[in-house]
Amino acid sequence: MEALALHGVDIIFGYPGGVVLPLYDEMTRWPAIQHVLVRHEQCAAHMADGYARSTGKVGVCLATSGPGATNLVTGIATAIMDSIPMVAITGQVNSWAVGTDAFQETDIQGITIPITKHNYLVMDVDDLPHALVEAFHLANTGRKGPVLVDIPKDVFTAMSSVPFPTEIVRRGYRAAAATNDTAIETAAKLVAEAKKPVIIAGAGVVWSETHQALADLAAKADLPIINSLLGLGSIDRQNERSLGMMGMHGEAVGTLAVQEADLLIGIGIRFDDRLTGKVAGFAPNAKIIHFDLDPSEFAKVVETTLCVPGDLSETLPAFTAAVAPKVNDEWWAKLRGWQEEFPLVIPDSAGLMARHVLQLLDRTTNSDAIISTDVGQHQMWTAQLYRFKRPFQWLSSGGLGTMGFGFPAAMGAAFANPKQEVWAVVGDGGFQMTLQELQTAVEHKLNVKICLVNNGYLGMVRQWQELFFENRYSHVAMGSPDYGKLAEAYGVTFFRCSTREDLESTFQQARAADGPVLVEFLVEMEENVFPMVPAGKANDQVQMDPGLPNDKAPMGIPA
Amino acid sequence: MRHTQEHTVTALVHNEHGTLNRMISLFRRRGFSLSSLAVGDCEEPGLSRMSIVVNADDNMLRQCVMQLEKAVDVVSVESLDGKEYVHRELAFIQVEAPPEKRSEIIDISRVLNCEIVHLGLKTMTVQVVANARKIQGLIRLLEPYGIKKIVRSGTVAMSAEE
Ligand SMILES: Cc1ncc(C[n+]2csc(CCOP(=O)(O)OP(=O)(O)O)c2C)c(N)n1
Ligand SMILES: [Mg+2]
Repeated sequence: MEALALHGVDIIFGYPGGVVLPLYDEMTRWPAIQHVLVRHEQCAAHMADGYARSTGKVGVCLATSGPGATNLVTGIATAIMDSIPMVAITGQVNSWAVGTDAFQETDIQGITIPITKHNYLVMDVDDLPHALVEAFHLANTGRKGPVLVDIPKDVFTAMSSVPFPTEIVRRGYRAAAATNDTAIETAAKLVAEAKKPVIIAGAGVVWSETHQALADLAAKADLPIINSLLGLGSIDRQNERSLGMMGMHGEAVGTLAVQEADLLIGIGIRFDDRLTGKVAGFAPNAKIIHFDLDPSEFAKVVETTLCVPGDLSETLPAFTAAVAPKVNDEWWAKLRGWQEEFPLVIPDSAGLMARHVLQLLDRTTNSDAIISTDVGQHQMWTAQLYRFKRPFQWLSSGGLGTMGFGFPAAMGAAFANPKQEVWAVVGDGGFQMTLQELQTAVEHKLNVKICLVNNGYLGMVRQWQELFFENRYSHVAMGSPDYGKLAEAYGVTFFRCSTREDLESTFQQARAADGPVLVEFLVEMEENVFPMVPAGKANDQVQMDPGLPNDKAPMGIPA
Repeated sequence: MRHTQEHTVTALVHNEHGTLNRMISLFRRRGFSLSSLAVGDCEEPGLSRMSIVVNADDNMLRQCVMQLEKAVDVVSVESLDGKEYVHRELAFIQVEAPPEKRSEIIDISRVLNCEIVHLGLKTMTVQVVANARKIQGLIRLLEPYGIKKIVRSGTVAMSAEE
């Protein structure tokens, strides 16, 4: 507890059990640290994750040994894929019983090796102060990530006179690669030479809080900025130079721009396959510059012309200073043309569609709410339609794509930001994976609002079955309980909306209500997300929205 | 198929709970193909030095070095490709050796600078310290006599003085 207090931890998400009893007992003497009792340990990890994604600070979760610890695994794996700073503390059986298959013993250190930045099994209490301080240090420096500390029961109760270290020096640990001035100068030259430059900005910009430097850079050299899914918020979506997200379901303009670009500047991105499509067809005409603090990302996926190592907080301002002011009028004319020709389509249908809901969510909250999503179609529509303004406003499981993440992550954000409006956008499938946390939200009168997009299907999977498996729907129809009764049972404020007419007033009422609010939107069942680059295909195979006026909806890129 | 070959890398690592496990996990997870791995204490207490032989193309080797450097356990990594370095492996080869064959086997061992470390009623154990290719050669020479058992240490390597 002292280590937690030392690190300014004000809240932990956890669940007790036999071997962590000593810690839970000690907790009663630390009133400054709030403990949130969850209903499933997976959600403790997602809440810690949501806390981190919405504040930039380390999230902390806690579980008992055995099943408690294994329940954390999905949440830890979610965090490592998106480089989220998290410390997970698990109890372990008594140190003398480790290795004997004791009751509720599991090798959580072994299990989590591939999904943690680092982990510890602390067998001696004298090692504990160092391990805990180092865990926070590792989680929150360089490329961030989850760190797990497994602590046997007797180590919790043992006393140690070893003080907490005030500084961590770990030999060989480099938070960020050293910067390289020549690379920055070369990069500036490439910008000067380029006629069709684009930036793809990722979560690295968010976590290094270099969004201002990014905006300055774009303004100085007149550069368009595309975001990866998790890069949303690194530039205000309403900034004139923001082109929105690219990738499998990115806006057409981004995909087309990257196809045609002669210079691509990747900043704090890892060239995920959902962004690049088939690598051989990615940015075929472009020189690629890659800014990142983690050199192991360089040339991991795409061949790169120039790597610019170092922490973005150093390299981005230096790069901005080094580039010469320029304008790219011709290029912008082309980009604006694509934007006009292939906009996101919001159908003017009689029936309520998910896109109506999510567009209005953006408008009614003035693009200012903290938004968490689950995984599926609703996630992609939110990414497309919500006009994020700032870092730490957008919480979504990008790398692992964890269904069940959306609601508990929003709760973590709501605990961390009690004064802000927090929405979880979830599907009927994913919500049913973690909705037991409604009880936790009620107990804390948590201001979290749930936008449940109920299409009666595992929509994203259904879309693939429609498009790639000739409409053979196999196990994608999703039954749901009566959410009104469910909300009543939990004591959650509930609204249901099934028409476009009621949409606005539903949002108004939901926004006005205090405490947890569940809003169910009954939407068109077979709506599809477009544009779409089919998995494994190159980005020039992008399928435009069939809802575009007929002459504007070709398969593939126009000549 | 990309062209792969063996590369030798050494890594200085913290000697902590789970270090070896994490290193092995990294190789498995990233699909790096290990030909040999040898670990032991080194000149500094609390640290160990690993000698790693990995079968990889140039890009995979680069990735492997990068991923090793990134690991929190690792202090430093040295890729020995293109450098002057020494490398040896120790192997014991137990071979069937009835009295009438003993002298032949002893001759082979002597020519190749090997030592006979055990002589039994029916077998002899030859110790060889050499590079992996030479060990392979010896094994081939001893095969006709009937090899009962082989134990190999894995390659240890060290770059020459700078
Ligand atoms: C834990 C988990 N299981 C399975 C999947 C595969 N998957 C991805 S999207 C999806 C459908 C999600 O359905 P729903 O929550 O209703 O959202 P919708 O796509 O309908 O908006 C599934 C099953 C996943 N991402 N995560
Ligand atoms: Mg659904």
